This record gives sequence, structure tokens and C-alpha cells, in this order.
Amino acid sequence: MWDETRRIFLESLWRMLHSMARQIPGVAAMLLFVAIAVGVAVALHGPLKRLCARLGLDRRLREWGIVPAGLEGRTAPSLLAARVLTWTVLAVLVLAILSSIDAGSVSVWAGRTLAFVPRLVAAAVIFVAGLAASRVVERSALIGAVNMGIHSARMLGLGGRWLVAILALAIALDQLGIGGPVVTVSLGILFGGIVLALALAVGLGAKDLVAHSLARHLRQTPHVLEDPQDDGGELHHL
Amino acid sequence: MPSGATAPATEMAAEIVVALERRPGPFDPTAAERLESELGRRFPGRPARVLVVRVQGGAASLVPADDPALMASPGPDGAAGLPGPEGALAALLRTGAERGAAAMALVAPGRDAGGGDWLGKLLAPVVEEGFDCVRPAYLRHRHDAPLNTGVVYPLLRAAFGKRLRQPLGGETALSLTLARRLVMDPDWRRDAGSAGSDAWLLAKVLAGRERVCQAWLGAWPGASAPPEDASDALARALGQIFHELERHATRWQRIDGSEDAPVFGTPGALEGEPPRVDLAFLLDAFRLGQSELAPIWSHVLPPATLLALRRCAACSPETFQLDDGLWARIVYDFAVAWFAKLVERRQLLASMTPLYRGWMAGFLRATRNLDDAGTEARVEGICRAFEQEKRYLIARWRWPDSFNP
Repeated sequence: MWDETRRIFLESLWRMLHSMARQIPGVAAMLLFVAIAVGVAVALHGPLKRLCARLGLDRRLREWGIVPAGLEGRTAPSLLAARVLTWTVLAVLVLAILSSIDAGSVSVWAGRTLAFVPRLVAAAVIFVAGLAASRVVERSALIGAVNMGIHSARMLGLGGRWLVAILALAIALDQLGIGGPVVTVSLGILFGGIVLALALAVGLGAKDLVAHSLARHLRQTPHVLEDPQDDGGELHHL
Repeated sequence: MPSGATAPATEMAAEIVVALERRPGPFDPTAAERLESELGRRFPGRPARVLVVRVQGGAASLVPADDPALMASPGPDGAAGLPGPEGALAALLRTGAERGAAAMALVAPGRDAGGGDWLGKLLAPVVEEGFDCVRPAYLRHRHDAPLNTGVVYPLLRAAFGKRLRQPLGGETALSLTLARRLVMDPDWRRDAGSAGSDAWLLAKVLAGRERVCQAWLGAWPGASAPPEDASDALARALGQIFHELERHATRWQRIDGSEDAPVFGTPGALEGEPPRVDLAFLLDAFRLGQSELAPIWSHVLPPATLLALRRCAACSPETFQLDDGLWARIVYDFAVAWFAKLVERRQLLASMTPLYRGWMAGFLRATRNLDDAGTEARVEGICRAFEQEKRYLIARWRWPDSFNP
């Protein structure tokens, strides 16, 4: 019986070792590919950082108020962008390698994920661009509202920011195929509500302000803050 | 002859060329004829040619007043007033240089309707006194044109060292020497967006060796367009001026103090109602800006200035005042922020509007009970503050990062 057990054990061990030995070239090839992917990603990191510096990404983002001033060194936006791009390149290359080698279910999973990558990248770009645009919109709306003498200027700015951010999020989710028609319908209800609220606000309380604003843009009357009185002349700033 | 004037222009036999910018609406060719006859009487023996700026396909050209195309076209589409090689000034410089005109003048839209010898007064320093550039000065109410009073005049005076009371006047008279130099200027190719603007011309003259003077032309005839909103006027004027400060940075940093520019004519007395401004609205706008825009201003202004502004906002309307030195430093800080691109430029200039309104409120309150001479003395105080604080501008311009917001 001992001999039989030993025979079965050795045969099993042999089969296992044989099976492992058959996998070794594949694993070695995969590790080699991953090493190449890491090399490509690391090689791209430097040029990406230089490209960001050349484009003046940090300065431009600060200038538009998208990131706060003082983010330097390891927290600089250009460094963050270079890191994200590097890791994205690395992840895509690894997925491409996994999907191309014969690794059974892993390859199938990697192939499916790889097919999803373009939509994921597009959604990420839309969302990030939307967040950046929302900051720009917030600042522009705030300054414009203050110059028009609107006391709830900050609220208007925040409202504009969140509208753009939500819109970007909805488009990104739609791009990813998450939520289906729920996102579109929710967004429609949200915007519809806002437009209705604005229409009511204009109709009930702010018609004079809107009239002044429209008139100013149509170059018919001076600004509300420097309106000439009945007994005086017009003020020309220059 | 005022001090600073030199020998008359050498191009004696040449004509005078005047470019008349059109205002929208039907064109009256008799205005050009009337101006020609007035100039003929004022400068006998020197033919005057009054041409009209015609904009076609986005490019301005000078055509005779009896050109049938002028009658057919509805009026300018706005391109004539724009800078660049296709603008009215470029057309005048090209035409004047080609014709070898002894003197040339650019006349703003609607100015041709006025009577009197204002065009002769504008051209006389070039034709008779040998100046290269004449800037107009109009008699305006002491409270009118506050942007010129509080920003444009003090800033350009401190920067370039010449006391031109209304630097961005619209009209101008030029000599052939200056026109030939300007026509060849590389800015027409390098910086077509701003070359040919009023501030560009003025900065070129002030930074160069040309002789510049100002001529009082009487009461201000009024703008050809409705009044601009404070924000638009500020952005337009300061955008141009800051751009020229950037272009001529090496020049203006070497200038210390200021000197009088030769003046022709006298201001005279002004009739009519002063412009009425609601000080309470201006103060409210300043306080609103101080409370809402302080985070944006913190990228531009140093903490001490922000603190001073907060204190100002807490003042009562009767005591509200922006100190002259503080105001000068604020304008300089915005110039540095524009140059260093600390905040997006349009947003930067727009965010300055509440500060300008605050300054305007303080100035109007302080000069409410003063006469013209008293107000002018107050303006002189502002200008001196700008000159005294110029070292601050130079230091910040050279090391914009030294103030870390």
C-alpha cells in the first residue's frame, strides 16, 4: 500500500511540476512584458512632465482659478497629471499584455476591461474638464454678479459651478453607460426646475435687474450703478 | 512757443491729411468740405485733404468724402476703431507717409459735426511748431471721466514721466517723421492685436524721442457711443495700458518723476450739468466686492492692502476714503498681476471694478464741495502718490513672486 501511495504521490507531483514547468515560459514572458510596460511608462513620465512645464500647466490652472495658488513641489498639478498619465499608460499596457497572452479567464477579463478603457478615459477627461470649467464659471459668474451689484453673487457663482459639475458628471456617467436613462431624466428634471425657478424669479422679483442688464448689453443705457439722474448728465468713465 | 517746442517740421510744401472716422448712419460729405475750408483758412498755402475712413471687408481705407461708396454703405461696422494693421490709424499712417503729408490727424466719429477751429488747434503744434504728436485735451466737468482722473492719467504720467492730462483722447495729430517711423514698426506684424490702439500710439511716442504736446480743444463734444459700463471701460483702458507697460518695461523703469508736456490753448469755462452719480451705490458696490472678491484679490494684493481695504469697507459713508498711496499700490499690484498672469486677465480687470468704484466714491465725496482748481489740486495729489509709489511697482514688476499670496 505504501508503494501504491508513493507512486500516486510521485505521479501527481510529476504532473504538477510538469504543468508548472509548462507555465513558466508564459509567466516569464508576461513578467518581461510587464517590465517593458513599466519601462515605457517610466520613460514617458519625464517627457510628460516636461510637456506640462512647457505648456505652463501649473500657471494656467492657477491663472484660471482651477487649482489654488501655492500648490508646488509634490502637489503641483503638472506632477499629478504626469503621474496619472504614467499610471494610465502602465495600466493600459498591462491589460493589453494580459489580454494578448494565453492566460485563460484572466485574458478574457483583461480583454473586456481593455475594451472599456477608451470609454473610461473619455469619461474621466469629460469629468475633469467639467470640474475645471466649473471653477472658471464660478469665478466669472461671481465677478460678473458683483459688478452688477447682486448681493447673492457668491450663491450665483456656486450655483453655476455645481450646475457645470453636475452636467459633466452626468455626461461622464452616460459615457460609461452607468445609470442608463435615469441620469438623463434626472438631469432634465434638475435643469427644468432651475429654468422654471429662474423664470419665476425674473418674472416676480428681478425684472428690473434683467431689463437693466439687457439694456446694458444692447448698449442702450448706462449701467445701473452709474445711471444719470434726471437733473444731471451722463457719466463717461474715460 | 511753449517750452519744449523746437523748429517747425521740415516738410514745408506738403499737405495736411485728415482721416475722419464715420459714425453709424447716413454720411454727410459737406462735413469734410467744411473742415477742408476751415483748415485752408487756418493754414494758408498748405492744402488740406480730408479723407473718410471706409471699412470694407474688415479693412479700413481712406477715401475722398465724395466717394459714391460712402453714400451706399450704411456706416462703419466697428472695424475702423479697432487696432491692428487694418484699423483707421494704420490707414492714416500709410496714406500720410505715401503722400508725404506734413501733418496728419485722426478724428473720432462724430467730431466732424462741431464748429470752431478745434482741428486747427490740434494740427497747429505739428504744422507750426514742429511737434511730432499732439494729444487733445477737452474741457470736461471735474467729476466726469473718473477713470482718466484716477487711473489713466496718474498711471501714464508716473510711468512715462509726461503730464498729459487726457492721454487717451481718441483724436491725435502726427508729424510725417513720426508717421514714417510708426509705419515701419514691427509691432504691426508681431502684435497686430494691439498695434494701432490709442495706448499703443501714446506709449510709442512717450517711450521714443518724439516731441509730444497737448492742445486744449474746447468743451468735450461727447462720445460717439453710449457710455460704457465701468467694468467694460476699465477692462478696455487698463488692458491696453498694462499691455504697453509690459512692452516698454525697460523704458519706464528708468524714468523718475514727471515733467510738464507743452500745452497749447487754455481750458476755458464749462457750462452744463455735472454728471450725477449715486455715492451710496458706489460704496455698496465696493463693500460687496470687498466681501465677495477678497479671495480673488488675495492672489493680487498683499495682505497689508487687503487689511486696509477691509478697514475702508467698515468706514461710514461720511469718512470713506481710499488713501492715495493705497490706491496707487492697488493699481500697480493689478498691473503686476496682469503682467505675471496671476489671474486670468479678463477676470483680473473685471475684478478691479469694485475697487475702482470705491476709489470713485471717495474721490467724488472728497471733491464734492471743491471748485475746479481745488479738484485739480486733489488730482495732483493722486498723481504725486503714483510717482512716489513707482519704486513699489518697479520692485514688484522685477520680482513678482516676492509677494507670495
